Amino acid sequence: MTEVEETLKQLQSQKGMQVPLVVNTEGIPTTTQDTTTTDNPTTTQDASLMYSFILKVRSTIHDTDPQNDLIFLQIRSKKNEIMVAPDKDYFLIVIQNPTEQAALSAPGVVP
Amino acid sequence: MSWRSLTNSKTAPIASRPQSSALEAQGRRSRWSATAREGGAVAMATRARPWQLCSAGSAGAVALATSGAASAEGPGRPGQLQDETLGVASVPSQWRGVQGIRGKTKGCQTASIATAEACAQTQKHADAEVQTEAPVPAGVLPASQHDSPRLAAFLRRVEAIVIRELNKNWQSHAFDGFEVNWTEQQQTVTCLHTLGYPPAQGQGLHVTGVSWNTTGSVVACAYGRLDDGDWSTLRSFVCAWNLDRRSLNPRQPSVVVEVPSAVMSLAFHPTQPSHIAGGLYSGEVLVWDLSRPEDPLLWRTGLTDDTHTDPVYQVVWLPERRHSHRFQVLSVATDGKVLLWQGVGAGQLQLTRGFALVMQQLPRNTKLRKPHRGETEVGATAVAFSSFDPSLFVLGTEGGFPLKCSLAAEEAALTRMPASVPLRAPAQFTFSPHGGPVYSVSCSPFHRNLFLSAGTDGHVHLYSMLQAQPLTSLQLSHKYLFAVRWSPVRPLVFAAASGEGDVQLFDLQKSSQKPTVLIKQTQDESPVYCLEFNCQQTQLLAAGDAKGTVKVWQLSTEFTEQGPRETEDLDQLAAEVAI
Repeated sequence: MTEVEETLKQLQSQKGMQVPLVVNTEGIPTTTQDTTTTDNPTTTQDASLMYSFILKVRSTIHDTDPQNDLIFLQIRSKKNEIMVAPDKDYFLIVIQNPTEQAALSAPGVVP
Repeated sequence: MSWRSLTNSKTAPIASRPQSSALEAQGRRSRWSATAREGGAVAMATRARPWQLCSAGSAGAVALATSGAASAEGPGRPGQLQDETLGVASVPSQWRGVQGIRGKTKGCQTASIATAEACAQTQKHADAEVQTEAPVPAGVLPASQHDSPRLAAFLRRVEAIVIRELNKNWQSHAFDGFEVNWTEQQQTVTCLHTLGYPPAQGQGLHVTGVSWNTTGSVVACAYGRLDDGDWSTLRSFVCAWNLDRRSLNPRQPSVVVEVPSAVMSLAFHPTQPSHIAGGLYSGEVLVWDLSRPEDPLLWRTGLTDDTHTDPVYQVVWLPERRHSHRFQVLSVATDGKVLLWQGVGAGQLQLTRGFALVMQQLPRNTKLRKPHRGETEVGATAVAFSSFDPSLFVLGTEGGFPLKCSLAAEEAALTRMPASVPLRAPAQFTFSPHGGPVYSVSCSPFHRNLFLSAGTDGHVHLYSMLQAQPLTSLQLSHKYLFAVRWSPVRPLVFAAASGEGDVQLFDLQKSSQKPTVLIKQTQDESPVYCLEFNCQQTQLLAAGDAKGTVKVWQLSTEFTEQGPRETEDLDQLAAEVAI
């Protein structure tokens, strides 16, 4: 547990980082001991939206070339940058504001 | 005449054959008198002088008598005139027989109907009940014991790559100044529609209020006069145009509602696309349903003790405290009352909560000019609710000072105005005044503390809720300012309607001194009285002026797309609060 928390905290302390989010294979965000923000409905909605999108990207790459597979996904939008690291069991989704000069206060660890 | 009787006696029974019967009779008599006068009988048949028959003898007379003839004269004398009924002489029809019945037989028969027998029977059925439950947020899996090692292992695997990418992004200049345009860029502000209702314009009515409905496709305007000093009995109109219809006629609104008194303000319902509330010059508040053209009036306050005694300058829809899908109407008027109405059955608006502004109860944090003797009410001319705190609202007053008020205020108002619910004093904070009455206030949808107020001194003040002095004060016009509204999409943009006939769009990011765009609405400098942004189609802005026209302006893209750092800039602006 603590190792998980530590890693997430370290990720969050990166410059411009907003929210790290870990989503399992069913698209449901997992949580750690820190449950202050577990009832955040927008997080679950974001997670499910991102989950279906990630699966679509993965299938696109895999169908184009069966030997190929997705290892990292970066989406640049007007306001921020979304990065996804996919894996067999989980996805890690982080959102960064790259043009920030001062890091926004993240609303707690939302696993 | 005897011949007449002869023929009659014989022809009476057989009406259709006089000649033959005469012959027949003749035949009989000839038997009798055949011996006597055969030749005469024959001659009788051919000649038309029957008096010789009578002279045939008594036998003939007897025959006559037995056959019912009434003549009893002696032979040889022409018979006396007697009344006898004659038989019917009829002529056989010539055409009837010929016509006959011309008939043909036709037969028809339907084809035989094909029938088939089939039966159906349900073998078995099952009962099932379905009930929706309140949506539960998708379960957040607690990371149980056996998951954590895998989770930790996963994070360890990806941590390095993610951190590397994060750092690269932070230093990357790849996207600096790179912008993608998804929609068509509009460079200038253009007038899309010029709408007017000729009968109202003919009466010289002004457009006193505009409102967009919840779907953003219908714009409604209210006609009245803003420069009437005394009680007016002007009939006015509420007109609505549906801009998405192809058959849009700018001179002919899709709905026109006649109102007995001038309408001073309008507000569409936040969720029902056809319900609209209006505040009247007479102090009444009415709610119409524009989808029923034959009887649009839904609710009215009527003229009770509760009703305002002065013109209602603004109406706003508020969600109810407990049932947020139902709405109530809040009205403010210059009699100092802020009233909350609820529509109950039979078309009556009932007062649920009321507030009264009394001079003595205003918070004393700002020095205001001493009120004249006897003037205790503070007339309210504008209201705006905060988008962050639903019970907080800002009132603009005739005295020129905005007031911060709360719906949850408990203190009773020291007023002698009669009301069915206890009136309370809502004011919590007084801001420093304008040089004249405030005609419009607007709370920022992006920052909880900022609001704008515009008044007759031609200035727009940007206030923060935290301090009494305005953060900035901009002079936009040398005449009155009638309306000011924040843009719903760009945190730093607002629009103001001035008495010089133009709509000024300010972008605080570009310049805080002069307007970015100045739209001339009227040619002869007659004032623009009201304006509203369209929250659904964010490039549209509707403004109504004193000539009775509503112009729908399409804004250029710079006014509809948020820049990258606007919210932060707004925060910075708000943070310039002098301590």
